[in-house]
Amino acid sequence: MTKPDALRILIVDDEKSIRRFLKTTLHAQGFQVFEAATGQEALQNSVADHPDALILDLGLPDMDGIEVTREIRKRSQIPIVILSVREQEADKIAALDAGADDYLTKPFSSGELLARLRAVMRRLLPQEEAQVLKVGKLTADLSKRIICIKDQPVKLTPTEYDVLKVLVLNSGKVVTHRHLLQAVWNKTEDLEGVAHLLRVTMSNLRSKIETDPNRPFYILTEPGIGYRLRSEP
Amino acid sequence: MKHIQNWNSYSKSLMLVVAASLLGEGVQRFLAPTNLVMLYLLVVVVSAIRWGRGPAVFASFMSVLAFDFLFVPPRLNFSVADSQYLLTFAGLLIVALVISALAARARDRALEANQREIQATLLYNLSRDLATALDLKAVLKILGDHAHHIVSTDVALFLPEDKGLKECYTSSGFLVGENEIAVATLAFQKNLPAGRGTETLPSSSAQYLPLKTTQGISGVLAYKFNDDLSKENERLLQALTNQAAVAIDRALLAEKAHQIELLKETEKLQKLLLNSVSHDLRTPLVSIKGALSSLLENDALDPETRRELLENAYEESDRLNQIVGNLLDMTRVETGTLKIVKKPCDLSDVIGVSLQQIPKERLGKHPIVIHIPPEFPEILMDLSLMVKTFMNILDNALKYSPADAAVEIKAEIVNDRAHIEFMDHGIGIPPKDLHRIFDKFFRSEHSHKVPGTGLGLAICKGVVEAHQGEIRVESRLNEGTRIVVSLPFPHIPEKGER
Repeated sequence: MTKPDALRILIVDDEKSIRRFLKTTLHAQGFQVFEAATGQEALQNSVADHPDALILDLGLPDMDGIEVTREIRKRSQIPIVILSVREQEADKIAALDAGADDYLTKPFSSGELLARLRAVMRRLLPQEEAQVLKVGKLTADLSKRIICIKDQPVKLTPTEYDVLKVLVLNSGKVVTHRHLLQAVWNKTEDLEGVAHLLRVTMSNLRSKIETDPNRPFYILTEPGIGYRLRSEP
Repeated sequence: MKHIQNWNSYSKSLMLVVAASLLGEGVQRFLAPTNLVMLYLLVVVVSAIRWGRGPAVFASFMSVLAFDFLFVPPRLNFSVADSQYLLTFAGLLIVALVISALAARARDRALEANQREIQATLLYNLSRDLATALDLKAVLKILGDHAHHIVSTDVALFLPEDKGLKECYTSSGFLVGENEIAVATLAFQKNLPAGRGTETLPSSSAQYLPLKTTQGISGVLAYKFNDDLSKENERLLQALTNQAAVAIDRALLAEKAHQIELLKETEKLQKLLLNSVSHDLRTPLVSIKGALSSLLENDALDPETRRELLENAYEESDRLNQIVGNLLDMTRVETGTLKIVKKPCDLSDVIGVSLQQIPKERLGKHPIVIHIPPEFPEILMDLSLMVKTFMNILDNALKYSPADAAVEIKAEIVNDRAHIEFMDHGIGIPPKDLHRIFDKFFRSEHSHKVPGTGLGLAICKGVVEAHQGEIRVESRLNEGTRIVVSLPFPHIPEKGER
């Protein structure tokens, strides 16, 4: 069933039942799956198994997922998706800051898992198609700097456009507040002090592209973490 | 002071003798000298009643001398012509001494009775005040105040804590440091008065009295030593310490009983929790396991049934997840480990996230109507906790409403606070249950057809209160329910304040 050129995924979780569920689901989707139960194993296997992406649990028995992320990032840029429970907000941010690409909160559906994997692995694909994004009625053409809703161009301020551009370039992936503040406002410190600029811009941006800004469809808020642009209908 | 007062009484009784002599001088032409003795007896009686034994005895002797000198011939001379007068002197002296003794005793009795009455009144007031005291703190305050009133200097009360004594009441001028604790501890351990006026550490500025009960010592009362403290007040203080010891013991016992009561209450809650957990966790598991086993064991199911079973299992797993989340949150609210990280938040974003996280099948066909005024000010809150709160409120609004009934969310500013209203057109809450709706595990009889743990609103209340907010409910049976969350706005720094 697994093709020789299938994408290779390393699953790191100390719970056997979760590894089993992940393995079955991913296998059925044509991925080649490898497993690790501890942080040490993860570090070894992330070299030995040549994975194309990593699914990494934050709570490992020997070292925490943040540390594992940091170690792996020292030598590799492979996509990493963190698995966490709802209460680990601070850890999630730390792992994302350490270089993880995205996260999934347990329990999650296989649909969410596959969407995350697709989003983080898009990075591995040739870049040109990333310039145009179509989701629902939203079209974003970064090469032409045009944003359309139902084929009608939307007038955005330069800041709003910049914010949306960062989200489009990372479509489907979580983009942290820090990331946006750095990329758009060029801020690296006193992020709390300028966070309101981001919130105001986001509110304006939503009122321009969302049908109901109170119930956004395109730009989703990840509480305490950042935002995510929907990449799939 | 006492001595001066004594000299005063002596001189006053002397003056009475002088006055009697002058009066005798005036009437001696009409009376025989022996009858003048009566005048002096009167002086002795008055002295005894007014000033007590000493002045009375003094007056007796002075009277004999004055009588002899002034009225017994030869006059203005201490010599006595008629030896019969010696008998008069003896009679006068003996009668005067006996009268003075009797009168003085009567006076002492009266004084004592008076003192006893004062003492009784004071102790009565004390016990009356103590009867109204609800807890140890109040008892200590009353004891301290009364002691302060008796000794008219600063007082302190020490009670035993885990290790050693701790001051539990001090009037303003009583500063407690290591030394004070040390003396109090000595008094406590030796079960004897210590400090000034005693044999133990007399150099300290206060006296420390152990508060004894039949069971032991319940504490130590200290007062800044006062030289002028009268015998009576000393006695009063003694009476107070006895009563204080009993009162403190009683308050401690009451407190212990209260703790036991609390513990019982906690146990009851734990039992409720266990029941709730075992029931509520198992119900979705039953559905999940049932659905999955049907799928596993029955290959002949038609696709529609398979899908139905799978959807059922999926929805039930969501419910299970929600229950576990609520239990965790409740535990955090209860144990105070709920960490709140407040940041300014855009309300419509918070509402949006809350709605986004509610399962689609729960939202169903309910129209959600949102009125948040544009430019609504940001509110300081812990985003994820407030999302849970709003989710819980919305979840209730949805599950207790008919399938197509609208749920309205409205925000407005009332008295400088953000009021966020959630209004449904559902089954409502009976008036008798309204006041209990935020209680843990409370579920209205009216709602029993709909599954739930009775935790959601209790968590909401915990979270909202941790935000210095308030949560209120209004409801009309079979018409709908309105939940209002009121939150303070952050202090907005004026220009230049940063």
